Amino acid sequence: MSTRNIELVVPPRPPHFVGDGFRVHNFIPSSFRLTMERMSPFILLDYNSKFYFPPSEQPKGVGVHPHRGFETVTIAYKGKVAHHDSAGGGGVIGEGGVQWMTAASGVLHKEYHEEEFSKTGGDFQMVQLWVNLPGKDKMSKPKYQALNQDDIKSYELENNTGTIEVIAGNYKGIKGSASSFTPIHMYNARLQKGASADFSFPQTYNTALLVIEGSILVNGSEEVPTDHFVLFENDGELFEIKATEEAVVLILSGEPIDEPIAAQGPFVMNTKEELVQAIEDFNMGKFGYLED
Amino acid sequence: MELLNFKKYLNQQWGLPNEAINQLCDGIRTKKVKKEELLLQAGEICKLTFFVEKGLLRMYALNEKGKEDILQFAPENWLVSDRGSIYFNEPSDYYIDAIEETDVILLDTEFVDKISALGPSFRKLNDRLLHNHIRHLNKRVKLLLGASAKTRYLDFIKLHPDVLLRVPQWMVASYLGIAPESLSRVRRDLAKENFKQG
Repeated sequence: MSTRNIELVVPPRPPHFVGDGFRVHNFIPSSFRLTMERMSPFILLDYNSKFYFPPSEQPKGVGVHPHRGFETVTIAYKGKVAHHDSAGGGGVIGEGGVQWMTAASGVLHKEYHEEEFSKTGGDFQMVQLWVNLPGKDKMSKPKYQALNQDDIKSYELENNTGTIEVIAGNYKGIKGSASSFTPIHMYNARLQKGASADFSFPQTYNTALLVIEGSILVNGSEEVPTDHFVLFENDGELFEIKATEEAVVLILSGEPIDEPIAAQGPFVMNTKEELVQAIEDFNMGKFGYLED
Repeated sequence: MELLNFKKYLNQQWGLPNEAINQLCDGIRTKKVKKEELLLQAGEICKLTFFVEKGLLRMYALNEKGKEDILQFAPENWLVSDRGSIYFNEPSDYYIDAIEETDVILLDTEFVDKISALGPSFRKLNDRLLHNHIRHLNKRVKLLLGASAKTRYLDFIKLHPDVLLRVPQWMVASYLGIAPESLSRVRRDLAKENFKQG
């Protein structure tokens, strides 16, 4: 098995606010080599690096907005997010939890800091990913998979030096708790200082990682600090990370969806015509209704 | 700044050949406008017409209660200005600002002189644009005077399909001359008619 080398180490770009509750560094899509096509099926990655929100009576967040054609995956590291949607669904994503929302044919939703968290304030740290859907599934029925940290099965590293939480896909025989439409591996690696873990994915899978806490050494040579993103080449299968201090690392690998991408705002379809249709359907109430 | 939309506009609307377009665009003034940055304030004499290359502008007035009444949204490929203030050289009643970060092309009298010099067809085309503008304004007055909130909304999404996705709802309500609650009601009623779960 050959080594998968690093293609790019990306520092966090200046943050911007999504609504008033998410202070994010955008990694995907960006014009510099992290395009939707290059990163497919991961077509967006916004990272709210650890940020202190002071107490607020009015929960901060993002108001009602639609999605169609893909899935949103929200991973909470610090703080809590409450969400509601036009299909009547809702819930709270707590620390260590994951919400995997298949927007598919379309939902309206809103995401806010959970009420109690908002009142007390505190550190907030999240990742939001958009995972593309193949054309045949873009208009399927919306659904949710809500995972608490306890629901996520994990692989214990030797000598209790850490765990690999398998959100989706599988790792050394441990199957992920969330199902996906195309082959995806998504893990949170929680490593003690000095611990190492190796990962092997098919060469064709687009593969990346984001250092959430601590710092790591990749393939024994490249030091990657907190909040940095690593894109791997598609030149091999195997890479290794070693925690140079206690670390949490989000690992992503997925089979690219080899289809045209037409994206505008909150819609990601295959063609321009489908985008126009999505906008019209949104305007005409076909995504349902949700009070702001 | 890339002038892709503007060049396309000159070609399609004004029927100008590439050579003339390049001549017009040579040294043209552009501006990157930040969110909420003002391009025109009430009391000033408007000197420019703004072409939106990328982004979204709006023109509004402050009413007697001090609230904003939105007269026009100008997304990509739209022109916005206070034509009356320019033509009559009088202070404007309106504000123009950016809702998103916007790339704007600034069209001044020098540009108008340049484009007029290209041939007699300019006047005819400008007349057409002006009359189209009047037609649009009349329709807007008609809707504001007599149409239901639903009719106004349905007309709006035909004219500006993607603006509702880009601005807060209260701005759309302001443009439609209805209360934000009425816009919510219209959207809720449409969802009842059209939303099929599953």
